[in-house]
Amino acid sequence: MSSSTREEVLRHLQTVGQLQPALHKQTHAPAPTEITHTLYRAYTRSAHDVGGEYDVPIEWHEKEEEVWELNTFATCECLAWRGVWTAEERRRRQNVDVGQTIYLGLPYYGRWLMTAALILIDKQYVTLTELHDKIEEVRKRYEQS
Amino acid sequence: MSRVEHDRTHHAKIATGVGDPQCFKGKAGKAKFKVGDRVRVKDRPDIFYTRTMTYVRGAVGTIVRAVYESPPAEDEAWDNTDNVVWFYSIVFSQRDLWPEYHEVYGGDTLETEIPEMYLEKA
Repeated sequence: MSSSTREEVLRHLQTVGQLQPALHKQTHAPAPTEITHTLYRAYTRSAHDVGGEYDVPIEWHEKEEEVWELNTFATCECLAWRGVWTAEERRRRQNVDVGQTIYLGLPYYGRWLMTAALILIDKQYVTLTELHDKIEEVRKRYEQS
Repeated sequence: MSRVEHDRTHHAKIATGVGDPQCFKGKAGKAKFKVGDRVRVKDRPDIFYTRTMTYVRGAVGTIVRAVYESPPAEDEAWDNTDNVVWFYSIVFSQRDLWPEYHEVYGGDTLETEIPEMYLEKA
């Protein structure tokens, strides 16, 4: 492996350490008795149910969709049209199954796209190895271009 | 490759040319509530998936419309469409939802759709 891979790995490890802000105290491997009902409910609620939560104001940005975002939308609609998922299954996967950190942290259509790839694996239309091979292939093509 | 056998066009077969939720019309049986009924939203479990917002749970609202019949989101999210229920449009006073809502805006309301299994007579 090249040293740039190690750099990326180490940068990744630093970054994921910062992705644990949901509960501002140490939470690793708690004993069952440390999880109250209130905490349990907070952990297991659907991440998209944000109505009424305290938060800071969000700045409004007017921005047109990028081409990959429009393509993602069309891909997801085709998956529905071909019966791979219903709109509700898509929402469940892209808004809730991803967990709170990803729900709040990744762009809207980024979650659509990630979910489209995952359902093809979950429902065994492609294997994860095939997807990884394809990502490698595209990555190499991109580096050579 | 071994694959769970599943007719992935089963939804298209009933919805094509008809629409969704129209394709579920008549499948929920008799509506339990009528327009004008005061109902309280049950605090059912919310683990794994729900679209009934936490902030309406336990609150009392008024039914303004029986809007359509459909599988609840909790079922449809796993492609289960056999259990069809009535959805009602319910109006809440904002003051009943948010304790700090100022009385100056006491006339403000919020309207949202909730499936029948979440509702009980208030």
